[in-house]
Amino acid sequence: MMASERAEIDSAAALWLERMRGPVQDSAIAASFDAWIAEDPRHVESYALMASLWQSEGFAQAACATRAGNDNGGDHEDGEGGPRARANRRWFGLVAGLAALAAVVPLAQGLFAPTHTYEAPWGTTREIVLADGSHIQLSGGSRLSVRLTPWSREADLEKGEAFFDVAHEALRGFAVEAKGARVEVLGTAFDIDVLAGGRREVRVYRGLVEVAGESGAWRLPAGTGLVLEGAHVRSLEGIGGDRPGWLDGWFDAQDTRLDRLIERLNRTARIPVVLDDPQLGELRVTGRFEMDSPQEIVETLAAIHDLSWSREEGRYRIGRQ
Amino acid sequence: MPRPDALLLARDGDSPGTDWTMVQSRLIGYLRARGARADLAEDIAQETVLRLIAISRTKEIGSVFALGFRIADNLLVDQHRAESRYADAGEGAEGEEGQWQTTAPSLDRVLDSRRAIEVFQRCLNRMPALRREVLVRRRLRNESCRAIGEDLALSGKAVEKHITRGLVDLRRAMEKAGIDPAGWNE
Repeated sequence: MMASERAEIDSAAALWLERMRGPVQDSAIAASFDAWIAEDPRHVESYALMASLWQSEGFAQAACATRAGNDNGGDHEDGEGGPRARANRRWFGLVAGLAALAAVVPLAQGLFAPTHTYEAPWGTTREIVLADGSHIQLSGGSRLSVRLTPWSREADLEKGEAFFDVAHEALRGFAVEAKGARVEVLGTAFDIDVLAGGRREVRVYRGLVEVAGESGAWRLPAGTGLVLEGAHVRSLEGIGGDRPGWLDGWFDAQDTRLDRLIERLNRTARIPVVLDDPQLGELRVTGRFEMDSPQEIVETLAAIHDLSWSREEGRYRIGRQ
Repeated sequence: MPRPDALLLARDGDSPGTDWTMVQSRLIGYLRARGARADLAEDIAQETVLRLIAISRTKEIGSVFALGFRIADNLLVDQHRAESRYADAGEGAEGEEGQWQTTAPSLDRVLDSRRAIEVFQRCLNRMPALRREVLVRRRLRNESCRAIGEDLALSGKAVEKHITRGLVDLRRAMEKAGIDPAGWNE
């Protein structure tokens, strides 16, 4: 096949794919689509390949990453200007094609929207209010960086746990990266927990979020949650109320590994808990724990699994009998 | 006039003769290019045609192929889901209970590979900024052409053109990288 002919077929296929994506409004368009497919077997092949490209997760992930990176280049304002977003978008549209202007935009302040990094020391919970009005509760021992541009709101939860109450904006999305998983917010309240071993937990309390992990993308409505562990994905049960229990000092364990419970406890506890033997971390625990009383938790855990505990050198130690 | 589903309009006469053999052969071509094995493509194409014929007896189908591809996609996803469930059960993987199904079950494993993502990303980065912006917004946020056009001061036609060219660019990039979107398992 001649290259030009192929290019023509591919262009037509791409155009049909775009046109047929919405509901078919017009019977004349529907008929000419059918005629185009019937005309030549190469047409359907090209159409199917275009559909595969468009729908692939690979494309969606690349587009996500590109959008995050792309905001660097287009950003020429103080990033924290929410209400101006729409005007800025229009402006961006006008100048995007003019290379000359891009050269004029100097390497001055504002070319790159600043990235703010927040950390909460162990044993404390830090409340953060972003310029867009979103509230974030950052659990002890957690680190989060946030970057607001006129076009996007991006956060990266490097470690720990955070509860996000996101101010709804029609134009700017809010996305959080958590060790390779991406949570896209559609104006909402949710909690992300990055645990040791690459496990990530997402719980949604209000609205709707989209989570993209290694093995796919999922839409989670309020009252649902997901655990991502590598390519494995499981749902989380029993998510109720309007915010996670840890904000009120509670932790609900459901067949939770002991080391995970302790990891969470140590985020807010003044006196850390350690296990004598890491293998003990594999024991499972279920129940509601009040995180403000670590000694009570240690006693309870010891009772449940027939372990011993002691308090020494500013820490609680749990070991075998 | 309300239209419950534009693909299925109320019928008001005999259906014009549809060449179902041709439809079936195009469906096979479609499914093969979507990565289905030959035997599976034939089975699904046949099942799809049977469903289309049944529907066409009572409704007028707006676009036989648009509806046919949609049915075929669903059957293909069901099939792969059933097969992967079977494979999981064989490996003694985690119980099915609580397993989430993705909202967009991907038919295209090869296109989800790390390498494919890199190729997509490189191609996107080389595009004119405006085209990239249009493509990303259409794909990620599913914004309508009109909304994108209004936001970026472009006509609907111009938006359509950016999407079309962008897709062709992506297709070329995949070809150059030797990634065959029709390939199923790497």
